[in-house]
Amino acid sequence: MKTMRLGVVLAGTLLLGACSGKPAGKAAAAPAPPPKPMSYELRLGRATFQHYCQTCHGETGAGDGFNAFNLDPKPRDLSDPAFQKKKTDADLADAIQRGGAGVGLSAMMPPWGRTLSKEQVEQVVLYLRSLPKH
Amino acid sequence: MPIRRLFALTSVAFLVVLAISPAKNALRSYRAYQRRFAVLAASRARSAQQARDFEKRPVAIHQIWLPQLDNRVDRCTTCHLGVADAVMKGAPPPFAAHPWTPHTPVRIDRYGCTSCHAGEGPATTESQAHGTAKDAGPPLLPVAYIEAGCGRCHSTATVPAAPLLSRGRAVMDRYGCFACHGARGREAYRSGAPPLSSEPVKTGAVWLRRWLTKPRDVDPNSTMPNFQLGEREIEELANYVLGQDVPEDLARAVRAAGDEPAGDAANGKKLFSESRCISCHTVEGKGQGSAPELSKVASAATRGWLLAYVRDPHAFNPLTPMPQYHFSEADSRDVVAYMEDEFRDFDAPKDILEPLRVNRTLAEAGEKTFRKYGCFSCHGSPGGRTAEKFGPDLDGIGDKKAAFLDFGRRTDLPRTLTAWLAAKVDSPRSFAKGLKMPAYGFNPEETQAVVTALLAFGSQPVPESYRVLPTASPIAIPAGRVGHLVDRYRCLSCHQIGDRGGDISTAPLTFEGSKVQRSWLVDYLVLSYSIRPILTERMPIFHMPREEATELADAIETLFVDPRVPEDPFQGRPASDVDPAEGERLYTALGCRSCHILGSAGGYYGPPLTDSGTRLRPGWTFAWLKGPQRWRADVRCPDYGLTDRDALRLTAYLATLHQPPAAAKGGK
Repeated sequence: MKTMRLGVVLAGTLLLGACSGKPAGKAAAAPAPPPKPMSYELRLGRATFQHYCQTCHGETGAGDGFNAFNLDPKPRDLSDPAFQKKKTDADLADAIQRGGAGVGLSAMMPPWGRTLSKEQVEQVVLYLRSLPKH
Repeated sequence: MPIRRLFALTSVAFLVVLAISPAKNALRSYRAYQRRFAVLAASRARSAQQARDFEKRPVAIHQIWLPQLDNRVDRCTTCHLGVADAVMKGAPPPFAAHPWTPHTPVRIDRYGCTSCHAGEGPATTESQAHGTAKDAGPPLLPVAYIEAGCGRCHSTATVPAAPLLSRGRAVMDRYGCFACHGARGREAYRSGAPPLSSEPVKTGAVWLRRWLTKPRDVDPNSTMPNFQLGEREIEELANYVLGQDVPEDLARAVRAAGDEPAGDAANGKKLFSESRCISCHTVEGKGQGSAPELSKVASAATRGWLLAYVRDPHAFNPLTPMPQYHFSEADSRDVVAYMEDEFRDFDAPKDILEPLRVNRTLAEAGEKTFRKYGCFSCHGSPGGRTAEKFGPDLDGIGDKKAAFLDFGRRTDLPRTLTAWLAAKVDSPRSFAKGLKMPAYGFNPEETQAVVTALLAFGSQPVPESYRVLPTASPIAIPAGRVGHLVDRYRCLSCHQIGDRGGDISTAPLTFEGSKVQRSWLVDYLVLSYSIRPILTERMPIFHMPREEATELADAIETLFVDPRVPEDPFQGRPASDVDPAEGERLYTALGCRSCHILGSAGGYYGPPLTDSGTRLRPGWTFAWLKGPQRWRADVRCPDYGLTDRDALRLTAYLATLHQPPAAAKGGK
């Protein structure tokens, strides 16, 4: 057993020596990476946002989704930097889970705590933070 | 003397050689990682005890052994030490906690690492494990394609928590990849491309040449790829396709329709609108877009063909999702008259639909060209579809070694499978001359999605206990007359029943019998109106005769029901006795009107509830309110967690709302 291992090690050292003359690898000039790699969690957050939130809050979170047309009060502009700064992640998650009525705002924003998992809510918050601010 | 010296030398050499192995192990980078981890984790620990535990961990190789999953051994946790520790959230690599996925960090013992991430599990050096070393095993899956890992076990079309993979699978389905390429589980795939047998009486050579040059320029909704054909090949194909014998019944129908007098375009316009053609087609880009753009259709097809097709699309293409409307002879003439008036390419040459004087030599060459590019895979051929697939099988493509791939002219690409696949999907012919796969013109995100779906095709199926297969629905669609009606009106093109059907409609029919009242359903089938006026995709008016509507409604009421829906939640009392006033208060307090219209106020997303007392069965309303996601997993109506008492009051309120459908009609 030991001799075998020894042999392997020996062979390995020899091989290492032999291989050290590195061939000049063809460096790729223009790789074709996929578009802007979004992290997996962010992608999930986006998917959840697009499915549940976008109808009112709009594609960019500006509060201009198609369902917002006839609503009063209008949905919150989630991309507003002042709003984003004011709210902590926990605040946002809380508002999503308990809804407008739960945090002392309009009941028009429904509570999602029973529909979305805790992780889904966290992912949506992550995505909200990545919305382009304007 | 020399013997002794030799002995001394060999002894020293022997000692040195013996020392190599332990020295190498002592210098392995994972040891340094583990020492760094102990310090870092201790500083993040939530208690002194936890900190001590981190510090006391011996330096050793960690592994996850998965005897059930091909006997995998994953030693990734030897360096990625914080994957399952909540305190390591946001720590620098390689110590960070694993982001949440449906399987991690909780079930890391069942799934390991390489089952999703690929890479070489047993390796203990970074370059070997990640597959970056020259002689390494499979490389890690780049994070952009990570959802491919989900697809190894999940073979359903839509995979929860894998939006990109699901999209990739949908794109592959829509663009007919499996018509040419075989794959496990996709043996029954049939392309929805039309048979070409009626082409000679449908269109002319000028149009067909344009189409073959670049299908998407003619119709942006087309799923036909660009075959990058030469002028000669186009001419051959045009002669072959337009030189075929049209089946006698189709030829006769088109000829007879072409001889009919012109219809009334004004009435046609009204019919076109109420038939909701844009639930599938588009007109100048407006519409759902799974079916052809219609704004220039009268310059693509002859009047006779259009008329015969509108009357019986299934005779021309048995697999088309288009329903057969119940138009009268005159009605269909009117619809086509409207299309002839409005849907024209006014810049097209006059002879765009002129028949071709077929050149037999070219036509014969065209047949070869037709076979050469595998056109029959989607369109079938006069001899029927061939069983054998035109392109290579896709099974195992996700496990291909980069060294076995032919990069050909693409010296610009990194030598990786993902780069090769992305380039192949993006511009298939760029690798070498003479390749046949056509260009699909996907945008970068579609390409990423398709590559993700491709990487999910492993060479071996995963063990059975890990497989998640599509669930076979126990709901059968009846044969006989009702089955014929479901087929004729192509209910399944838009609606889902069990696990079958399309996703154009938001209303699955699986529990429709438990959901709506029969009398409402009959009226609705005869004269449907828009339940969700904001949507582009709405239920067409089929001009369905009342007997057919009654038959369908009876079948739906008998078959598409669910025992979880109570027959009478009020238990014999009238709704007015169950405190509908409190229900009304709840309706306001819960903010239902943010999605539902009642009278004139409310949002657009949900169905209006103005006539909910006429439309819905109270049992359904109650069951729905107790947990909408039980009935449709992805429905946006949130679960409010109502008590039975509150749900019943809200049900009672909604059951008292009546309005005859005729008055609710309007958003057409």
